[in-house]
Amino acid sequence: MATQTHSLSYAGCNFLRQRLVLSTLSGRPVKIRKIRARDDNPGLRDFEASFIRLLDKITNGSRIEINQTGTTLYYQPGLLYGGPVEHDCSVLRSIGYYLEGLLCLAPFMKHPLKIVLRGVTNDQIDPSVDVLKATALPLLKQFGIDGESFELKIVRRGMPPGGGGEVFFSCPVRKVLKPIQLTDPGKIKRIRGMAYSVRVSPQMANRIVDSARSILNKFIPDIYIYTDHMKGVNSGKSPGFGLSLVAETTNGTFLSAELASNPQGQGTAVLPEDLGRNCARLLLEEIHRGGCVDSTNQSLALLLMTLGQQDVSKVLLGPISPYTIEFLRHLKSFFQIMFKIETKPCGEELKGGDKVLMTCVGIGFSNLSKTLK
Amino acid sequence: LRSENLIEETSDIEDLLKEEEDYKEENNPSTETSGALKWKEDLSRKAAEAFLRQQQAAPNLRKLIYGTVTEDDGDDDGDAQEELGGLFRVRQPDGGCKHKADAMDCSRFPVEAPHDWDLEEVMNSIRDCFVTGKWEEDKDAAKILAEDDE
Repeated sequence: MATQTHSLSYAGCNFLRQRLVLSTLSGRPVKIRKIRARDDNPGLRDFEASFIRLLDKITNGSRIEINQTGTTLYYQPGLLYGGPVEHDCSVLRSIGYYLEGLLCLAPFMKHPLKIVLRGVTNDQIDPSVDVLKATALPLLKQFGIDGESFELKIVRRGMPPGGGGEVFFSCPVRKVLKPIQLTDPGKIKRIRGMAYSVRVSPQMANRIVDSARSILNKFIPDIYIYTDHMKGVNSGKSPGFGLSLVAETTNGTFLSAELASNPQGQGTAVLPEDLGRNCARLLLEEIHRGGCVDSTNQSLALLLMTLGQQDVSKVLLGPISPYTIEFLRHLKSFFQIMFKIETKPCGEELKGGDKVLMTCVGIGFSNLSKTLK
Repeated sequence: LRSENLIEETSDIEDLLKEEEDYKEENNPSTETSGALKWKEDLSRKAAEAFLRQQQAAPNLRKLIYGTVTEDDGDDDGDAQEELGGLFRVRQPDGGCKHKADAMDCSRFPVEAPHDWDLEEVMNSIRDCFVTGKWEEDKDAAKILAEDDE
């Protein structure tokens, strides 16, 4: 922004989103070199270019320079602007890839973000829109980001490779974030799920539900898995089905797991019974990892803790994912914030694996571009 | 006397740090109290040493994430690159690091060693994560559940 801070330099295409997001929030420019420099097909991919275009749309005055081969990217962030936006995401990655970045930035816009994203809603790589809706939104609410306009809606469902899905996301802006103290996840009181199917028999979803229940019923009776069969134009361009499961605790923690069928024309056909059972097992793995934030949202929670008011924030996590480890390193270089990390062994309790308690003092980030009314 | 004051307050570390500046001034006049204050000598150096010991001992998560604060490994990697005939440079195969730099950017944390959830003991390992499991003694299960009912 106004201060002339020298840019941070990185190599490689991995962690591109977190680097660009943190650069935007901190105002420090980044230079990323050697993006797939030794690849047969070097440089940025379509889905990355699409993410950069999205950043350009929601900010004002960003400077983006990419060299001819696309192996070097220079990004000087502008101010977060927000407002109504539409964006066609690349079908190579799901909308979740783009939403994860937006969830970090949306609370700090000048105008509340109201965005329509088109592309793939559920795939096998990224967290799906269903899971982000069920886990990331309640997490943001813990930080005081809430209100009527806080919404994430799946208008159309689209599976890879064709896509054709549509999602609406709107998020209110906040001047400051509340610090959090999430040290006790509580106990799981219910499991909810969404079995979806598009352009296949609606019976697929029912078969998924039955098989997933057969495993989860051994642990808790309160299980409800919705079936969602979108038709016609709302079903996207490719056939597919899948399941997302969310376990909710008494203290408002949401742990999730999901699986999707193989994209049309890739791999062998998956039986809905197998998919349901495997997804239920993945949820049990996630419960075994435990913590107050599920493994896909660890970095979002840590970011909002860093940006919180100058007060102590604490969160109990399961094992820290490699993505989060790199995110912590980035938080240190962009915001000079180091977390206190304490391992909490599981001991005699029957509550899964070891946990990690993360503590930090927020930097007191405040949204200066928010308009006062 | 000030020196007596100091000794009284030795238990309080914060006060101790405040007094440290004063300590320098009165170092020369009160030579007879030097024995009592001996343990205070080089306090900052001792603290630094203790900190480094802690950093180096027991591989912990902090070390894994942020690396050691000590930075023993130095930055001599730069000039370690051998040159052949002053023209070619020997490529250091970076192995895993290089691979990671261009790996897929994804926040998912895949399960590396899945448990066998059909086994009774594995199932039991997460029993108490559920409301149906055993509760801590200080928490009244019925009360919390009643509050949570919408």
